[in-house]
Amino acid sequence: MRRIGVFICWCGTNIANTVNIEGVTEAAGKMPSVIYADNYKYMCSEIGQSMIKEAIIKEKLDRVVVAACSPRMHELTFFKTAAAAGLNPYLVEIANIREHCSWVHKDKQEATGKAIALIRTAVAKAARNKELWATQIPVECRALVIGGGIGGIQAALDIADAGFEVDLVERTPSIGGRMAQLDKTFPTLDCSACILTPKMVEVASHHNITLYTFSEVEKVDGFVGNFEATIRKKARSIDLEKCTGCGICWEKCPSRVKSEFDEALVMRKAVYVPFPQAVPNVPVIDRASCRRFTREKCGICRKACPAGAVNYDQEDEVLQKKYGAIVVATGFDILDLDDFGEFSYGKHPDVLTSLEFERLVNSSGPTGGRLLRPSDQSPPKNVVFIQCVGSRDKSRGKPYCSKICCMYSAKHAILLREKYPEAQAYVFYIDIRTAGKDFEEFHRRAVEEYGALYLKGSVGKVFPDGDKLLVKGVDSLSGHAVEIEADMVVLAAAIKAKSDAPQLARLLGISTDTHSFFTEAHPKLRPVEAHTAGIFLAGACQGPKDIPETVSQASGAAAKAIILLSKDNLLSNPCVSEVNESLCTGCLSCIKVCPYGAVAEKTIEEKIHGKALKRRVAEVNEALCQGCGSCTVSCRPGAVNLKGFTNEQIMAEVDAICL
Amino acid sequence: MKQLSEILKEVAFGSLSSGEAEMVIGWQKGPFWWQSFPAFITDPGGTGSLIWDPFSVSNLSKYLLKEVPEKKIALFLKGCDALGFNQMLRDGRVDREKVLLFGIPCDGLVDPARVEAAGLSKGLLQVKKEQEELIFYYKKGQRKAPARDFYYAKCLSCRYPNPVIYDQMLGEAVPCQPVERFADVSKLETTPLEERFSYWSRHFSRCIRCFACRNVCPACSCRECIFDLAEPRWLGKANELSETQFYHITRAYHVAGRCVDCGECARICPVGIPLAELNRKFIKDINELYGEYDAGADLDKEAPLLTFKTDDPDVSSGS
Repeated sequence: MRRIGVFICWCGTNIANTVNIEGVTEAAGKMPSVIYADNYKYMCSEIGQSMIKEAIIKEKLDRVVVAACSPRMHELTFFKTAAAAGLNPYLVEIANIREHCSWVHKDKQEATGKAIALIRTAVAKAARNKELWATQIPVECRALVIGGGIGGIQAALDIADAGFEVDLVERTPSIGGRMAQLDKTFPTLDCSACILTPKMVEVASHHNITLYTFSEVEKVDGFVGNFEATIRKKARSIDLEKCTGCGICWEKCPSRVKSEFDEALVMRKAVYVPFPQAVPNVPVIDRASCRRFTREKCGICRKACPAGAVNYDQEDEVLQKKYGAIVVATGFDILDLDDFGEFSYGKHPDVLTSLEFERLVNSSGPTGGRLLRPSDQSPPKNVVFIQCVGSRDKSRGKPYCSKICCMYSAKHAILLREKYPEAQAYVFYIDIRTAGKDFEEFHRRAVEEYGALYLKGSVGKVFPDGDKLLVKGVDSLSGHAVEIEADMVVLAAAIKAKSDAPQLARLLGISTDTHSFFTEAHPKLRPVEAHTAGIFLAGACQGPKDIPETVSQASGAAAKAIILLSKDNLLSNPCVSEVNESLCTGCLSCIKVCPYGAVAEKTIEEKIHGKALKRRVAEVNEALCQGCGSCTVSCRPGAVNLKGFTNEQIMAEVDAICL
Repeated sequence: MKQLSEILKEVAFGSLSSGEAEMVIGWQKGPFWWQSFPAFITDPGGTGSLIWDPFSVSNLSKYLLKEVPEKKIALFLKGCDALGFNQMLRDGRVDREKVLLFGIPCDGLVDPARVEAAGLSKGLLQVKKEQEELIFYYKKGQRKAPARDFYYAKCLSCRYPNPVIYDQMLGEAVPCQPVERFADVSKLETTPLEERFSYWSRHFSRCIRCFACRNVCPACSCRECIFDLAEPRWLGKANELSETQFYHITRAYHVAGRCVDCGECARICPVGIPLAELNRKFIKDINELYGEYDAGADLDKEAPLLTFKTDDPDVSSGS
């Protein structure tokens, strides 16, 4: 006979208004094995917790049921309460009579009946709860940062400065990311490169940071504190040690391809560094466009290299390393504008995306910072900026606000005037959103000091008209149709998640939202953590963000990673699966469905008819098991059981509800 | 048929006397015309009693589970049996190294109920098959009839009359002329919910829970079935329709994606519950969702219910 105590919480009026607490307490007192039932206004308060502790000791309770809010809220609180009174915390069971009952019902009588049923269920399960013990698992004191943009750079630097080793993996040949493409940054107009490049150099020279550029994370196994990542260092075809970055190779290279860094506005060579301030300042050979690799001809760069650094035979290198924490900072892409034919993007060279415009005003860009029309290299006079191209557009684009466009377009309007005081910027907008420190002031400056003309309304069509562009739109404030003869049209294309974000999410075992942005563990209270323990998020991979937000989130993610890495040991979750070998048939379905690679095959010996025979069964690695329970449902004979949620416990719950 | 019966005796004798196998599992004639029982022979001298006739319906591979796995066993497999054997192989329940398989091409077996229904069973002593005909022997005289008229329904829709796995094939491969196997399922799918429920309730209400459907099934190969467990007791002992429904639905789920559609469950059922329809509903759904999949037909093909693919139709594109 168990000695179960039931503690019913009013949650102020949250539960008490819809549930008859006295009635529930009385009913609970009569349930099987329940020897004590009481209620209190706030069970989670100190007085409430003391009530539980006292009852455990005085009534010699061996199981406790707390009927209160969701276990996600206070399970840990009551676990600690029980532990303080000397009871194993896993003997505590929560009946959720708030979210599952009082909050969703209006009728007091029915809600009371349901609360009783929920408590009866929890009591039935609690009677079968067993003591469980967490074990200590060591933490690998190294962090992996995926993505070498400003988010990844900041996170890597912070973790490294705290004294932990960091591996920074970047897919492209250089770190720097989107910020490296930008000219000036709002709202201060300081030069992007001037504030970014010192950080890039710091990353390269930091004694705690190992930089893997032109590399990708291929596989991640393991769990919090003990991840094991497979990293592919793609063949650079250039020896990182020997290369001096002199640039002779790309001067001589005869193959030309569109530059990704310059948004395809100019050509780069097949052997290239993406931009002059690249870190590392060592080129790569783009094998898809190099004549040596596509046609087995050429070899000029190898001949020309004074350092003998060119190596066509270099192969991909695959590394396996262990990490305690992972920061994901993989950034964003720009929406493809194929569905926005009315703006003539792609059909007329003077219709640009904002990122292309950014390259054109950038002193390291294709025009050396002289803003010229791509069509005839002449300075533009009238420039039309169109906001929300694909943002806040459910039908053709994304329903969300890309957040940065209002501000960078104000910046572009300012930069335009600074370059050409005669020029006129027109901005078509839906709403102007300037919620940020000094953002509104910056926007006002664009209007008041730099004369940008803001038109609330949309653009219906952009027609090529001789060497000009005819922009036809509506000014919804005056109600008039507007026609502007523009020299250049700049489209604020929506921010979208990286197209391969879902693949990375699967690889890491984290989740994505409907737009493929990575999901944080809690939108308010755990904004930098992924749902999977030990994985943290930084920057626009989690949702559209500007630079200051990205940097703050990166530092937040770094702080969370540092908290984890500074622990010697983590407590394991004792609610893991176990295999009953006598029932296990050895079909090994559990191995196939386990998302954590926690189940393995093992051979056991047993005696049948006096003979020692070998038989295969499944075995759970308790350190890898995350307690998801997939294996238990795949097991036909019921040989796999999840501790804390055993088949017996769940059957008891079902019986308590149904019978 | 007669010829094949002789070959079968020879290979059984050969494998036992050479020591290649320690036991042969085959079929033996029982006292009545419709009885062909499994036979377990360890002495080469006993192989003369082995037969292959139109009633050799039982799948012998299921008996491997009862035998000591160390022993090397020779057994005969028809097309449907071979699928079941493969599924047991995939489930890790048999050791391929420990069995010697003789494949038997089979174009169909005779359902004694059909013989009876045709009014041919009275005084019947023996039934033999010659070419496409059955010869019925009586005390006085004999009668002939086209064999296909007497085949089990499951044989008429058979798609694998020739074994997909064997060490040695006995006899010539037979052609395959299956009838549409999902016709009954499609019909059931279109009937209204209440009608469907009463259809199954009517059938399940007759179930005596003899568990023959489970015992005969090559996909039901657990060491201990959950329905036999005392704790937790998944299945109540009371004669309750809901418990019986629970048993049958759970059984169908447990074999989903692993059922080889051999039809043995429906054949063995003493009260005639059309269990194969339940299994085929799953097979049809799996085929429609994940592409054609025949459990037991190809061991290299991934089992759809145990494989996660990012383009699975039930994976939403966004997450």
